[in-house]
Amino acid sequence: MKSRFYLLPLALLAAPAAAHATTYMSVEQAQALMFPGEALKPDPRALTDAQVAAIRKDSGESPLSRELKAWRAADGGWFILDQVVGKHEFITFALALDSAGAVRSVEILDYRESYGGQVREAAWRSQFVGKRHGAALKLGQDVKNISGATLSSKHVADGVRRLLSTYALVLAPSVH
Amino acid sequence: MKSGRNHAAIGIILGLGLMSLGLTFAGTARADEPLFGYLYTTDTLPKGKKEIELWSTLREGRSQGDFHVWEGRAEVSYGLTDRLQVSGYLNVAYANVYHNVPSGETAPPEIFADYSVGADKRMDRGRFEGVSAEAVYRVLSPYTDPVGLALYVEPTIGPRTREIESRLILQKNFHDDRVVIAANVTVGQEWRYLQGDPAADPSTEDFRDHWDKETDVNFGVAASYRFRPNWSAGLEFLNEREFAGLDPFDPGKRTNMAFYFGPNLHFGGERFFVTGTFLVQLPGAKDYANPAPGFIVGGITNADDFEKYRLRIKAGYYF
Repeated sequence: MKSRFYLLPLALLAAPAAAHATTYMSVEQAQALMFPGEALKPDPRALTDAQVAAIRKDSGESPLSRELKAWRAADGGWFILDQVVGKHEFITFALALDSAGAVRSVEILDYRESYGGQVREAAWRSQFVGKRHGAALKLGQDVKNISGATLSSKHVADGVRRLLSTYALVLAPSVH
Repeated sequence: MKSGRNHAAIGIILGLGLMSLGLTFAGTARADEPLFGYLYTTDTLPKGKKEIELWSTLREGRSQGDFHVWEGRAEVSYGLTDRLQVSGYLNVAYANVYHNVPSGETAPPEIFADYSVGADKRMDRGRFEGVSAEAVYRVLSPYTDPVGLALYVEPTIGPRTREIESRLILQKNFHDDRVVIAANVTVGQEWRYLQGDPAADPSTEDFRDHWDKETDVNFGVAASYRFRPNWSAGLEFLNEREFAGLDPFDPGKRTNMAFYFGPNLHFGGERFFVTGTFLVQLPGAKDYANPAPGFIVGGITNADDFEKYRLRIKAGYYF
């Protein structure tokens, strides 16, 4: 009798494992939105140990993956797909840079949290437009905190700062 | 046999209640806090967000006899502001104990201290304990400040119980907020209306029906790591100290002290969460009020509000 009793809560722990994810936008849809009418050419990179260390030192943030998912636009701009840590799951986002490395736009592709979805609002994302490598992108300073969504807004800002460092250290023409 | 049936009955109630909640919401499931079963973090609900939560706590085992206590709580929480969360609780309990004190007699667990039971009788009963209100105010955020800080207060009132619990909550995050360290200091002042004991000295208040007063001072520290999306695991450590009366600074009034330690597992999704913590009492307990042999066995205390094992499961839904 006892063993059955204690197993019941364990069954509950397994129950929600099949929960579904929410995708607001596919990669193709994000590319079409952020680079309308432009052809994007895949240009993925595998970050070296030295590059990861340099990005960490420059941005204060460690890349979550060594695979840099990047596409090059015909006009010299870049489309970069990446993730940051959300409250419970990863937040997938895309960063569009112009040929000079300034932010054209930020889009949230996946957001799966119970609250904090304001990071998807255009008004909040628009504050990144025009930012370049070297911008502080600190929550509460040059990036507005979203009260009630502090973790998500902090991590998205950190992620954009990390990708601007990645651009400057890995992708920018001056690197080559 | 009777004990086994009752034990199973508690389990069925617990399991069915939690499973029904889980199955109801598994389709849209995703979740959130709490990361810990016994420790609190500084996270509060955003303004206007609501949450329902069920708690189920098993308290099992003494050095002698049968000791099974189940405590249940149903909670509704609401974010008044992004920093201030308020909650209301209903509290129920169930006890099945027999020959559970060192003298070999049956004695009510502390939560049933206002009931009497024959020394050789089995106590097998449930009760509505009371209702609680709770307010948590986050002073500092662990995401934007060097350390998170929150203040907590929870008054409880029941037919024969009153309690005010105050808590200081600290939180520090690491590794992209996937590692969470929390520390709590809790002071709980309790009043229980006890029946007079005819065997007590007639000149003492124990002889008459009276409000018995006690203070609990608990220190806790816990750590949790989100090892994969939605899942966190960690450890919790508690040091619980009890004092007779309402003054926790009078060492002459301390009655006992115990340590608990154990693992936890947390699933958090978009709407649904479940957290489980299993604690074991560690050696090193003290029983100041009962220095006679038998109260500390194997280094653990078997009196008042203490037992060998605790299992707490919290499940909730955000809307």
